[in-house]
Amino acid sequence: MAIQQKTNKEIFLNGIFNENPIFRLALSMCPAVAITTNLLNGILMGVSVIFVQICANSTIALLKDYIHPRVRLPIYSLTLATYVTVIDLILSAYFPVAYGALGLFIKLIVVFTFITMRLDVFARKNTVFPTFLDAMGMGLGFLWGMMVIGGVRELLGSGTLLGYDILGFKPMLFFVLPASGFFIIGFMMAIFNYTERIYKEKQSKRRIPA
Amino acid sequence: MKEMIKIVLGLCVTCITAACIMGVTFIFTSDPKKKNEHINFEKNMFNVLGYNENRSIPADLKLYSIFRYIIIQGDNQYLGYAVPVGEKDSSGYDLLQVDTNGNFVDHKHLDIKPEKVMEEGDRTSAIKAAVGGAATVTYADMFFVAKVENKRSAFLLPAETIGFKTTIGFMLALDPLYNVIGVEILEHEEDPGLGAEIEQEYFKNQFQGKSFEKVKSIVVIKQPIPDDYLKFLEKKKWRQGEYSEQEIKAMQQKYQDSDINAITGATISSVALTNGIKVAVKKFVYRVKVLDTIIMNKQIAVAF
Repeated sequence: MAIQQKTNKEIFLNGIFNENPIFRLALSMCPAVAITTNLLNGILMGVSVIFVQICANSTIALLKDYIHPRVRLPIYSLTLATYVTVIDLILSAYFPVAYGALGLFIKLIVVFTFITMRLDVFARKNTVFPTFLDAMGMGLGFLWGMMVIGGVRELLGSGTLLGYDILGFKPMLFFVLPASGFFIIGFMMAIFNYTERIYKEKQSKRRIPA
Repeated sequence: MKEMIKIVLGLCVTCITAACIMGVTFIFTSDPKKKNEHINFEKNMFNVLGYNENRSIPADLKLYSIFRYIIIQGDNQYLGYAVPVGEKDSSGYDLLQVDTNGNFVDHKHLDIKPEKVMEEGDRTSAIKAAVGGAATVTYADMFFVAKVENKRSAFLLPAETIGFKTTIGFMLALDPLYNVIGVEILEHEEDPGLGAEIEQEYFKNQFQGKSFEKVKSIVVIKQPIPDDYLKFLEKKKWRQGEYSEQEIKAMQQKYQDSDINAITGATISSVALTNGIKVAVKKFVYRVKVLDTIIMNKQIAVAF
């Protein structure tokens, strides 16, 4: 039982750090760069992704035995498109306020590479519960990535956070432009690689005296 | 062979299931969705006229809707305007038939109840009946005339333009001299953080107060908005009494003849909306002048 729990935790944390979709796998860069001009956009996009990712992952994990491996990709696209359309319609009909904020983001989700990638790499080979955890981890990893990029860009580009004036001036207008997203992502990747190296060095040092 | 059939069947079943799910959701959501759109449309109509929490709607504000149709009879093409007539609201609609050069052709009464006129199906069939059997009748667009104290106070026109990805729907308000009162974005699918900024006050409010002469030749310039103008444009952030009446007038005058400052990183969307507004205003003014001349010459008792 203890081992089972540990693996579940690992699955969950995998998406947040080890295989963070933005900083480690470098997938779905287009939305990550285009949308994150401010923190709020980043959060909304991340929340929408978590939701669709969990729904689609669980569905594929449930139906995996019935999907012919040769046509799995079209079926993944169909699943995603169905979820996205249904969520879009329901939000626009019953939650017009939320739709005003989220509507644009939801439509973009169909083309997210890393959601399809998770369906193929993980959901196809696992049962529902680990898949759910994986989707949750991946979604949260994406969310915090978007929040970091969005936060830095909003703070440095327009001097605000969530629309509230923090700095009172605009340090670097450049950070509002899409190209700056790449700089921040590159910088974060460097931090990830550096921490990984330090961590590994520490581990190997510990091993030698033992 | 067996494998092929399996694949085909599998894909078919998936597609049909997906289609069914989407179809059922669509059936259940289409009515509330239309209702929301309608509410949104009406809210935007008053917003664009400048009525909001701080400025209430006048009690005698009346809105009249005019519909434009394209009528094809044999080889001839006409424009048909369905216009409200009579002094009271409940008097009904007439059809004015105009040829493509703007000359008056025919004037007919429409057999339709005023409360049914917003329903596109009922309206089109009434016009078809009035024109006669052999013609094809296609709905083109519509606009509203707002009247306060029995005087025309504004024209409201919903319009569309091609944006970065799909169409941008917007609503324009013009005063009786065709100067822009305001612009509201009704629907769009531009990218969040970039093109979607056309919804923001600092962009769309730049059109407020632009004269008809200026709008005819307006262009987009790639320059940041001056700080004092930016503060003036973001009306929702104003504190109580931030600007006095004179100051508002002075600011509007100062930037009256400036062009539109593009959104950083979204020049295409900025240009698309600006050109859309330019074209919509030009066409509308031409049409409304033709219509007004005809109404005056033929002495038709229109309501607006």
